[in-house]
Amino acid sequence: MRGRTSRKTIFAFIGPSVIALALIGIAPLLYAAWTSLHFFNLTRLRQLRFVGLENYQTVLTDGAFWQAMGRTFFLLGTSLPLQLALGLGIALVLHQPGLTLVKTLCRLSLVLPMATTYAVVGLLGQVMFNQNFGVMNQLLGGADINWIGDPTNAFIMIVFWDVWQWTPFVALVLLAGLTMVPGEVEEAARLETKSWWMILRYVQLPFLVPGLVAVLILRTADTLKLFDMVFTLTRGGPGASTEFISLMIQRVGFRAFDQGLASAQAIILLIITIVLARIYIRVFYKEV
Amino acid sequence: MNLKSMLCTTALVAATATAANAQSGDWSLAEAAAPYAGTTVDVVFLLRPGYEAIQEMLPAFTEETGININIITHPYENALGEQVRDFVAGGDLDIALIDLVWIGNFAENEWIVPVDDIMARFPELVDPALNMDDFFPLVLNAFGGWNDVIYGLPFDNYSGLMFYNRCMLEEAGFDRPPETWQELMDVYGPALTGDGQYAFALQSKRNETQSADSFARMLWPFGGSFLNEEFRSNLLSAESQAGLNFRQELMQYMPDGIVAWDHAETVNAFAQGEVAMITEWSAFYSSVVDPETSRVADCVAIAPEPAGPAGRRPALGGFSLAVASQADEAEQAAAWLFIQWATSAANAVEYLERGGVPARQSAYSDPALAETYTFIPALVESWQEGVPEFRPRFAEWPEISEVVQEWGTRMMLGEVSVEEGATEIGTRMEEILESAGYYSGDKPLAQ
Amino acid sequence: MTRIQRSYAIQLLLLAAIILICVFPFYWMVTTSLKTQVVALQSPPVWIFEPTLANYREALFEDGVLRTLVNSLIIAVSTTALALVLGVPAAFALARFEFRGKKDLWFWFITNRMISPIVLALPFFLIARSFDLLDRHITLVLIYLTFNLPIVIWIVTDQIRGIPYELDEAARMEGASQFTIMTRICLPLAMPGVAVSAIFSFIFSWNELMFGLILTRTEARTAPAMAVSFMEGYDLPYGKIMATSTLIVIPVLIFALIASKQLVRGLTMGAVK
Repeated sequence: MRGRTSRKTIFAFIGPSVIALALIGIAPLLYAAWTSLHFFNLTRLRQLRFVGLENYQTVLTDGAFWQAMGRTFFLLGTSLPLQLALGLGIALVLHQPGLTLVKTLCRLSLVLPMATTYAVVGLLGQVMFNQNFGVMNQLLGGADINWIGDPTNAFIMIVFWDVWQWTPFVALVLLAGLTMVPGEVEEAARLETKSWWMILRYVQLPFLVPGLVAVLILRTADTLKLFDMVFTLTRGGPGASTEFISLMIQRVGFRAFDQGLASAQAIILLIITIVLARIYIRVFYKEV
Repeated sequence: MNLKSMLCTTALVAATATAANAQSGDWSLAEAAAPYAGTTVDVVFLLRPGYEAIQEMLPAFTEETGININIITHPYENALGEQVRDFVAGGDLDIALIDLVWIGNFAENEWIVPVDDIMARFPELVDPALNMDDFFPLVLNAFGGWNDVIYGLPFDNYSGLMFYNRCMLEEAGFDRPPETWQELMDVYGPALTGDGQYAFALQSKRNETQSADSFARMLWPFGGSFLNEEFRSNLLSAESQAGLNFRQELMQYMPDGIVAWDHAETVNAFAQGEVAMITEWSAFYSSVVDPETSRVADCVAIAPEPAGPAGRRPALGGFSLAVASQADEAEQAAAWLFIQWATSAANAVEYLERGGVPARQSAYSDPALAETYTFIPALVESWQEGVPEFRPRFAEWPEISEVVQEWGTRMMLGEVSVEEGATEIGTRMEEILESAGYYSGDKPLAQ
Repeated sequence: MTRIQRSYAIQLLLLAAIILICVFPFYWMVTTSLKTQVVALQSPPVWIFEPTLANYREALFEDGVLRTLVNSLIIAVSTTALALVLGVPAAFALARFEFRGKKDLWFWFITNRMISPIVLALPFFLIARSFDLLDRHITLVLIYLTFNLPIVIWIVTDQIRGIPYELDEAARMEGASQFTIMTRICLPLAMPGVAVSAIFSFIFSWNELMFGLILTRTEARTAPAMAVSFMEGYDLPYGKIMATSTLIVIPVLIFALIASKQLVRGLTMGAVK
């Protein structure tokens, strides 16, 4: 067993980061919690007053808020399976022996989408998916698809870019899992069966689970945070078809200036995030 | 709003100040500015022609006065948020750039100083040639005034105009643009739509464009309005519904995806000859007649917006500049000198020639100018007939506009019916007005 | 064709498709940035045209994109350094010391990574304003810690935990302090993890938009905030927007390619065990 360390030593190591995060992370949160209990509109600060839980009541009964929340999880539910399926496929191809040079090149290309500035992805989307001068319709054989102006197509477009940017991440994580499978175990299995599915299911999958969990946690968190790309691409439109939860809060807080309501929405989002993170980590990630 | 009394007080103060200056001999900008040389004035500008025009003229001002103008450019959609945050936080901005729909907001929060106060405080800075009566009264009142007080001087001024492609119309057998909206739809619509070309495009993107350019534009000519006299929603009235249904019907003659079109897409479609008619702000004149950006430069013609059953109710929009109350004394003085200079009658023609649209009546009196700038007659006509509360200008507008943007676009997309959408906007709008205190009598019913 | 050849052919086809899909948007971004407005708006789009550098000239020298790139660089480097200085000792403590509430503390650190920035944006704005910190580099350096510190702690804790504890014990026998153990024993062995977390911090900070938009104006404006500011609804200068995008993305792509090995390790660290 490890020996006890004095409190002073522990504090010397961990104190600075705790204090830093508390000051820049918790102080604003407390402020937001305070704001959420007030009628706090930036353009009507004279009417600033305590309203108790009224903002929360408004949020919880507001159909638009839950629609945005539902839309966010729908996006997660659409793009995550796609990312997992494509990512697994790519990982399996890369895991095959041979063609080393092309595979190295491929691995390098996979790094690019992930590192791209999210806002730039949205700008790029505007250029490539424009109905008239966009290259996407041209590549689809001169199609005349209205991507940005049609609610369903706009959603599909968001899914496309989310999948484009994050499938490489899934692929690389799963590929790393595949390389963890001991060579002799895999070879032995290949002698037993020709079915790649059996090998995947019984030999490789156990090594993929931790990676899948990490993907699940990070993609969930990032989808709840999703803002930059959609903001620059559709701004939540047309109608409300791509208004995800972070966009909605931004709109209420910074465009309608109702900080009280926006803070209440943000706190509810925070609670949902923490609960999800707790569940994920408790269930899948037993470390520490 | 009592326009006359407002103009009278302002005129009176101006006259007093002018008299003071007259006594002290000839007024010169350089002399007036001397104590404030070296002062820096912070202001938010947009990336639009009127701002570029004044930026080109700026070196002359700085040279004469020694006052530096620090310009922070933002896209329109961020400009309100940026300024609100700055004023709430007591930031650096010395001049407020005010879209007419923000004026109630800025004035009620006392973020801006009335022109009279500035003149009273700095009588020596008032240019004897200021002549407030020279501004188009509607424009001065709507862009710069709130609750009988003038705060800002009109700077970047627009009226909705009808831009039409004369060549396309002639080809289809029309020798004039439509007089009424109904005519546009019934006669011009079918004749000009087909083969990838469309009779009309109405920019309707979900931002201020939806509420100002699309929703409100169809409300007023049909006799509708946002609010009735009791400040309750008027969107379910027969007239408002007629206007909104008309917009819905007119969409068959517009390109697909019009709900995602902002000004840029609309103007571009017109400039590429894909669309025969658009109703757009006067400020786009320079870009549609520029052969570098427009394929139809020679075919562009301009008329006032079509009339509806309730007459001609062209869209009204534009910006004024006002002195910010958070600025210190030197900054306020310098800010005033800049505003006065930028909106002056003396500079109006140069401003026009560089692509801006001044609000000075005197600037448009030269008939030669109307030949070069063919939008002038329609513009002047529109500014005689506009509705100041085309969009309500009270402090709650930004919130209401968000609601209109959401449900207005959903209505156009057919996700909700016109009636459902209007009901939804009405309910949410009344909630906002309720909490603002209009119904309990806490706030006067001013828009 | 033999079976093996066929399998190679199929593989090659798939690999080529993956590479193409990953790279094509960048190709399109760069070519669009070399087009004049008239060419950029042609329908259908053209693939062969006479390139111009005018968009870059305008973006870099007239609109001040250069300065925003410098700002982004200063901010990303500083916040990464700060996150390491604060995060590495904390990670060491979490990996090596036993104390009450350790699990909760770790969880709290990690949760910060999950919080939507919109939750913190306005309160932080008002607080920054009252300390006169708006439009200053330091403000972004600090707020970026909210997502960089958790990354450093998450990855480095895992890495240190993988180092045999016996090494610590041996050093302690010789009278080394905890600080010495951290810097002399663990840090060199944990270097890959530290490098990975630094790379992540840098990329995340470089790419961040929302705080950059809200907390800066001119002096400290970051490159992504600049790229977005061309999107006036009046006129969409696509060539210039793409030129700015290219300028923002190219440095981070080069960086990511150079560090790609570490990057891939980092992705899997703490996940694959």
